[in-house]
Amino acid sequence: MSVRIDGREFPADGSILDAVLAAGIDLPHLCKDDNLPAIGACRTCLVEADGRVVAACSAPASSVREVLTTTERVERIRRGVLELTAAMGDPRPDLPHGPCGVQARQTFAAHAGVSNGLSRRERTAVDSTNPFFSFVETACILCGRCVAACQQLQHIGAIGLAGAGLATRVTPGASITFRESICTSCGSCVAACPTSALSPKTGGAE
Amino acid sequence: MKRVASTCPYCGVGCGIVLNVDEADRISWVDDVPENPSSDGMLCVKGRFGTTFVNHPDRLTTPLIRRNGNLEPAGWDEALDLVAAKFLEFRGAFGSFASAKATNEDAFVQQKFVRLVMGTNNVDHCTRLCHSPSVEAMLQQLGSGATSNSYSDYEDASCIVLVGCDPGSNHPVVASRMRRAIDSRGTRLVVVNPRRIEMCERADIFLQNHPGTDVAVFNGMARAILDAGLQDGAFVASRTEGFDAWLAAIRETTVEDCAAIAGLDAADLRAAGLLYADPPRLAWQPADWRPGSCLVWGMGVTQHTNGTDNAHSLLNLALLTGQVGRPGCGVSPLRGQNNVQGCGDAGCVPDSLPGYQRYEDATIRPFEDLWGAELSRDQGLKATDMVEQIAVGAIRAMYIVGENPLLSEPNLHHATDLFRKLDFLVVQDLFLHETAELADVVLPACSFAEKDGTFTNSERRVQRVRQAIPAVGESRPDWAIVCEIARRICPNVEIDPRQFDYEGPAAIFAEMARLTPFLRGLSYERLDAEGGIQWPCPEPGHPGTPYLYAESFPRGLGKFVPVRQGALADEETDAEYPLILNTGRILYHWHGGTITRRVEGLLDRVGVIPVAVHPNDAESAGIADGDPVMVMSRRGRLSGEALVTDAVQPGALFVPFVKLQDSAANFLTNNVYDPESRIPEYKVCAVRIEKKRERKRMEAAGEPSRP
Repeated sequence: MSVRIDGREFPADGSILDAVLAAGIDLPHLCKDDNLPAIGACRTCLVEADGRVVAACSAPASSVREVLTTTERVERIRRGVLELTAAMGDPRPDLPHGPCGVQARQTFAAHAGVSNGLSRRERTAVDSTNPFFSFVETACILCGRCVAACQQLQHIGAIGLAGAGLATRVTPGASITFRESICTSCGSCVAACPTSALSPKTGGAE
Repeated sequence: MKRVASTCPYCGVGCGIVLNVDEADRISWVDDVPENPSSDGMLCVKGRFGTTFVNHPDRLTTPLIRRNGNLEPAGWDEALDLVAAKFLEFRGAFGSFASAKATNEDAFVQQKFVRLVMGTNNVDHCTRLCHSPSVEAMLQQLGSGATSNSYSDYEDASCIVLVGCDPGSNHPVVASRMRRAIDSRGTRLVVVNPRRIEMCERADIFLQNHPGTDVAVFNGMARAILDAGLQDGAFVASRTEGFDAWLAAIRETTVEDCAAIAGLDAADLRAAGLLYADPPRLAWQPADWRPGSCLVWGMGVTQHTNGTDNAHSLLNLALLTGQVGRPGCGVSPLRGQNNVQGCGDAGCVPDSLPGYQRYEDATIRPFEDLWGAELSRDQGLKATDMVEQIAVGAIRAMYIVGENPLLSEPNLHHATDLFRKLDFLVVQDLFLHETAELADVVLPACSFAEKDGTFTNSERRVQRVRQAIPAVGESRPDWAIVCEIARRICPNVEIDPRQFDYEGPAAIFAEMARLTPFLRGLSYERLDAEGGIQWPCPEPGHPGTPYLYAESFPRGLGKFVPVRQGALADEETDAEYPLILNTGRILYHWHGGTITRRVEGLLDRVGVIPVAVHPNDAESAGIADGDPVMVMSRRGRLSGEALVTDAVQPGALFVPFVKLQDSAANFLTNNVYDPESRIPEYKVCAVRIEKKRERKRMEAAGEPSRP
């Protein structure tokens, strides 16, 4: 079983995203964590598959014959999604091993803080109460990876998504800090965060 | 930025880690490894954020020699010459502790040195203080002391029985896997613990028994199973022996008798027994799948004067119900240290050679042939006995590698007095800890991040450890230091020094694999190519063994051992010391804390010893949550902070055994031992608690006269 990606044949293993990444193609995939099932929230991994624009993380590679990652149409739509994502706040896709891809980085760099006429989220909380990591809400794009890591990987459930619309936020609970919460500081959320909204506090020793 | 795949240095779960090392050779971030079958992409706070100790300024960077009472920096040659001369002088009155934190290769070389060069089997390690009763009981009843199942079996189990352990604190990734089984797969949970642990939130049955009553609990469960006819008769008939004698002992007490001794509701005890013996079929299990139960236990079973009996009573349950040898069931002593399984496998135990091979001609001869000398067939002294034997001069010199007995032994004032009596003490470690402060020579060792090797985790998976940063200061890998000492002594004892010329860890591992039947199929080549492999792996093409005892036990038939509930503990409460102290662990610290006190964030989370006290006892002592408190036993005292909680029973206190602000639980604990395994009774001693007086009043009144 194989799938044709940008004109070359590759094994159709896993999702379209898995096949694309295995082919060595740089495709943003902000909400897909190696550790977790697809969430399908960020829509940054859009590709054209058999003529339809689909989220590569959520469709099996074996279900399509041809995948194109760089058509004018899909590039335009993907850029639009990234620009809207950038407009959510101030994402910092700067983790050295982040899953953002070159296009995401460039788009974030060019569009960070540009609102595109949309209302910006107003949440600007910074929670540095945990000694190992901090949470900078302006960088959060609500992809849900941290929540999935906490709930579906570690089964701790210290953080969740609360509220709706522009008021949606990642939170360790109503009016409590990370430190006061049941968080065990396992760092799976930090490892999962694609935008450094959750980031380790100090790099080095001490 | 460099990325180096290795294995976590903290608990026995053995999580896969990738160390990210920056340009200054510092660990800047630790990645999880989704493809590691033991950790499944998870880490806990210690593995993720707790490895910065390797670059802590307290690291020992040169050898130290005691001169005029002070430990002073010295060169390697001078220190090694001195150690070699003194060890030779005290040959015959020598004992050594190996480290369950070091690699298999370190451990193998150390026991080889002790046996071959020092001519004694006086080598042991910290399992004496944690799971020696489990190992003792398992060897007697099954023929192997290892965990029989894989962690994945917890997720395939229909029922998990967690006894005397708190995986949420000490084996967090195993706890996550159990939570996943319970939340997503329908696994049932029974918790047996005098303290309400976090996993109780998900428990179907919580048996909060009185401390020291484990035999009553498990004999009661067995009786309930027999009453209901839920034993696995076919398994008992074909795979076990000793059933009738055991049955007679079980028939002496009813479920109700046992429940009364343990302070439990008889209906709960009965229900737990039936659930373990006959767990439900879960929705995802195919029709031909026999639902299984995993028995998982920790120090709550073992650290008692009746520890071996407790372990026997647990294993009897598994034999009665046939809950071993299939996927989704098994017996699991959760191992505390990263390489406590491997340290024993490598032979750092006084009663057997590498691979748990006894001192019998057939098994000892391959060692003698390869090493070119005759080896002692006498049982060595166990760790706790080595310490007690200092008093009578039977042990005069000790070589302590990667252990800190003066924090981990019971009744520390007593243990410290004994260590002071030694003629010559060598300590080899990362930090100048309590034991090192008494040493004559201190040798600086490399941390896990500075050397290559292997660790063997709790599910018998042998995994690679890889050097990520250069050695700190002049520190050297443990195995290399041992070899240096050995080569210096060899010519004096007619041993070929080339026995200690290893090219590196791979060569040591190859020798260990050659001499250990269950490791024979393993090599660095395979481990590097395939990732970790679970022993037994008897030949190169063998895939490893996820669960043991499918066909038979190493001893042939499984053996029932009748046990009866004995005295609950050595020490009883009285008017002066009315409370029972239980010791254990917390998430944010590691055992005695020698390492975790050197990680700022961990210290930030817990910097003072939390003393868990029931609200009733707190009220009668006038103590509020967060108050500074003193806890006193007949042997010592500690300062901590009250944590008022009904997670502990009235009349009980719980204190983690980490040392914080110069206080540690083991100043209080009792140096009495289980007769078979010689484990100390860390889990029970009589204490009282007082609110700490204001400093001003203390000064005015002077130091209290009573210890």
